Amino acid sequence: METNNNNSFEPKVVAFVCNWCTYAGADLTGTSRIKYAPNVKIIRFPCTGRIDYMLLMKAFANGADGIIVSGCHPNDCHYTSGNFHARRRWMIFRNLCDFIGMDMNRVVFSWVSAAEGAKWAEIVNTTVDTIRQLGPATSFQKLIKNSVFEEVGNE
Amino acid sequence: MNNIQQKTKELLESGACTLIIGYEKGTGGKARPVFVRKAEHAAKLIFDESCDQNIAGYLYRQEIKNESKKAIVANNHTLKSIVELASENQIHEGDFMVLAFTAEGEIIELKSFEEIEKHVATLYHGLNDEDKATMQKIEAMTMEERWGFWENEFSKCIKCYACRASCPMCYCPTCTVEINQPQWIPVPSHTLGNLEWHVMRAMHLAGRCITCGQCAKSCPLDLPIHLLTYKVALDSEQYFDSVAGTSVCANNVLATFKTEDHENFIR
Amino acid sequence: MARIGVFICHCGENISATVDCEKVAKVASEFPGVAVSVDYKYMCSDPGQNLVKEAIIEHKLTGVVVSACSPRMHEPTFRNACAEAGLNPFLCEMANIREHCSWVHEKGDATTQKAIDIVRTLVEKVKRNEALAPIYVPISKTAVVIGGGVAGIQAALDIADAGHKVVMVEREPSIGGHMSQLSETFPTLDCSQCILTPRMVDVARHPNITLYTYAEIESVDGSIGNFNVKIRLKSKSLDEKVCTGCGACIQKCPVKKIPSEFEQGLGMRTAIYVPFPQAVPNKPVIDRKNCTYYIKGKCKVCEIVCPTKAIRFDQEDSFVEVQAGALLLATGFDVLKTSAFPEYGYGKYKDVIDGLQFERLASASGPTKGEIRRPSDGQIPKKIVFIACAGSRDPAKGREYCSKICCMYTAKHAMLYKHKVHEGTPYIFYMDIRATGKMYEEFVRRAIEEDEVKYIRGRVSQVYEKNGKLIVRGVDTLLMGQPVEIEADMVVLATAGIANQGSEELAQKLHVSYDKHKFFSEAHPKLKPVETNTAGIFLAGACQSTKDIPETVAAASGAAAKVVGLFSNDMLKRDPLIAIVKKSPPPVYSSCTGCFMCIQVCPYQAIDKEEIKDRNGNIIKTISHINPGLCQGCGTCVAFCKSKSIDILGYNHDQVYAEVSALLNE
Repeated sequence: METNNNNSFEPKVVAFVCNWCTYAGADLTGTSRIKYAPNVKIIRFPCTGRIDYMLLMKAFANGADGIIVSGCHPNDCHYTSGNFHARRRWMIFRNLCDFIGMDMNRVVFSWVSAAEGAKWAEIVNTTVDTIRQLGPATSFQKLIKNSVFEEVGNE
Repeated sequence: MNNIQQKTKELLESGACTLIIGYEKGTGGKARPVFVRKAEHAAKLIFDESCDQNIAGYLYRQEIKNESKKAIVANNHTLKSIVELASENQIHEGDFMVLAFTAEGEIIELKSFEEIEKHVATLYHGLNDEDKATMQKIEAMTMEERWGFWENEFSKCIKCYACRASCPMCYCPTCTVEINQPQWIPVPSHTLGNLEWHVMRAMHLAGRCITCGQCAKSCPLDLPIHLLTYKVALDSEQYFDSVAGTSVCANNVLATFKTEDHENFIR
Repeated sequence: MARIGVFICHCGENISATVDCEKVAKVASEFPGVAVSVDYKYMCSDPGQNLVKEAIIEHKLTGVVVSACSPRMHEPTFRNACAEAGLNPFLCEMANIREHCSWVHEKGDATTQKAIDIVRTLVEKVKRNEALAPIYVPISKTAVVIGGGVAGIQAALDIADAGHKVVMVEREPSIGGHMSQLSETFPTLDCSQCILTPRMVDVARHPNITLYTYAEIESVDGSIGNFNVKIRLKSKSLDEKVCTGCGACIQKCPVKKIPSEFEQGLGMRTAIYVPFPQAVPNKPVIDRKNCTYYIKGKCKVCEIVCPTKAIRFDQEDSFVEVQAGALLLATGFDVLKTSAFPEYGYGKYKDVIDGLQFERLASASGPTKGEIRRPSDGQIPKKIVFIACAGSRDPAKGREYCSKICCMYTAKHAMLYKHKVHEGTPYIFYMDIRATGKMYEEFVRRAIEEDEVKYIRGRVSQVYEKNGKLIVRGVDTLLMGQPVEIEADMVVLATAGIANQGSEELAQKLHVSYDKHKFFSEAHPKLKPVETNTAGIFLAGACQSTKDIPETVAAASGAAAKVVGLFSNDMLKRDPLIAIVKKSPPPVYSSCTGCFMCIQVCPYQAIDKEEIKDRNGNIIKTISHINPGLCQGCGTCVAFCKSKSIDILGYNHDQVYAEVSALLNE
């Protein structure tokens, strides 16, 4: 994957977060007026247990350069154990993706509680910085380009 | 007349069974599955190294599901799949009998899930040397090389779903690929959609793949897709001590958790 | 065809200072399916809300996106506004462009663009929203209280006083629990039985309370509002309606040397017995394991002496079933026995006792009538060593937790001893003194300063017997780890509080989770301390973790308030954002394959099996079913289900998929 030194590159990052901890944590970042990069956009889920790994695949297939998945710290899950289930799922999924050569530096998993507004800003900023350095997700973009061509070609 | 033919004849003649699912000689030195319902056809049956196909999937087929007097000739893969299917409530105790073989080649009848589970505990669980070597080769590659390798393989996939059809664990009557609201897996077989399909298939087999490799054996393009489910199986064992096909009790790796599970990768 | 209204709020200048709200409204007006898009200074104000309501009517909107602050702030406000205008409230979504955008980014195009992206995402979501209605579950207004200790008593009385029926189940022959065994209670030193026994009598007399003693939970099914509880009434070998509780049978019973459970083995009881004189109900039971008639087939002395002919040797266990809306667990705790301590003599030294045994020695109604006498020879001990943290805070014993009550009761024990044996010397070996309750620290100071209790900070490594004395070897860490050896007459171990026997089995029957020490787990450590993670089952007292009496009573009243709150409605109203197993027309019925792996995934035991039958009642298919009364809507099963047969209302597959693609595709 070539590194992109072009400063005009603005990473597109999707954040999949749970409603009770990280979404509320990101609200706190706002009420605390802590600034962070605008590249990250949040999708709200009831719980990390609800976050389907296929949605992560879909994010890349729709041109995301990076992904953040975040929820409640262990033992703090609003639903007691959704995050524990999610943690196992991510472990398996992450290793599988790595095995097929996907760059797992583009996927950040974190626990951000409702009180960790500053941590949320830090997670966003470091993720955006990392992805800025890695450059656009060209490996996926190539596949996306080809798929569009083929789908049009097939019609 | 060999062992298995003799046994089949006895079972059919005595009326203990009305159907034996086993193997017969196929073409090209391969064995293929056969359904034997008459004692005079027992001579068709064989059981040797060529009988490596996993045929556990026949047990839940709608067409024979209600035949209670059936027996299945089970190789090691089939046996493990039977245990896994039992844990997933797809087959039921008493609906069939298993004809398995001891290390010495003696036929044994296994009727209860407990007996099957005990017998499976004596079998080897793990990859063969060839697959181990391939796994190591891929894991030793750089990330870009691995991506290149799989991109090349996925580009060849024609989405015939033979992998799905041959896997005894793929029993959902409506597969996720057939759902179009939303369209989880694109219909045309371009590399991106193929990759999504194979990632999803591997994830669906987490804690369930018994590493028989039937998917790759069935692939008309010889894609090494079994390595994907193997990867998931190996990780399930390494990190969560979960080996598919060893227990008839429900205990899927992704349906359970421990509070002290590994989480080094989470910030 | 979707007709979506988009309402962009400036929030004064909170949003408009960094986001070009007019531009967002203009761009949004061109999104497919958007019928109207406007911006306004304060959307949550009355005129702002009216703007939304009027637009719903004027443009016949099928969905509303309010782009303003966090949904955690004003989602209820705008959903209500929508409902007032006749739009189903679940067709309203909020796009968070304040906390997640205007407040955290600098003014500029990127910030405005992000706001546009957020709005587009929510527009795509709301197009796929469904009109939903709250779920109503009828409630049986009876509570089953399991356990008749102080926690159960308090909770039962609170619920019964609020006008609801209570069924109390106690496995021992009498209610009262551990509190009835205690001598005097810290920090006031009032007599335990004097405060408790009137409450026990209240329970027995209360018209709303049905008391079953010598009874256990056999099985529980159903869910919040409608539990079906089957209770096993163990045979008392006695007809309680006929028995007057005169006690003639107890006096005549020839088997008199059974170690009394109530006296912690320091006193004896008969085979037909009441555990203690103030027992409620005060009617005996026959302990069949020790009764001569049940062992040898003859005796029947009690039957002969009974003036009312109440004895029933052939009585069998019976069962009652109760329809209950809520269950309250108050099964209490136990203490680790001295036999768990090899270093303190494995329980073989008679004069090494646990705290609960000391309570009996100090109790006026106890085996020594309140005199402190050592169990071995009945002598009054001149020196007593109390060892705090015996088993607690000890990872080597597998109990890293603090038992919480021992610091206080050990101080009390030393004080009571000093009050009764003026010339005696009490020593306390401790790790830390934790006296954090109201008047607790003062109490400990009193023990040290007025009653001259000798506190030694350090652990005891060994206790052994020598010439009729107990040699206690420890260290004093405040004297630089100097070894200390005391020749004591008696040693009292403040052994760890542990989960009550049978708690694991009960938790499994009730599907309540428990921790590794077998204490029941609360639903949330801070916000739901008296709820379990199974809706409708509540917790009180030491079955959750060891607690002192005030804390136990507070928890019991808290749990009772939860039950009364639940019972204050005839129907239980629940948020409809729950998971469902999708159905389809015959011959498929559902894509669910019945692997039932989701049952294990669910944190709330909300998933069970459903049989789909034909007209003749033959089972066609068995699939998973989600109980709407139990599902809390976490969605873990949704992401787990391989065939995607489970979906969750409000965050369904179609909605979240559309959000991902809308977020990334301009």
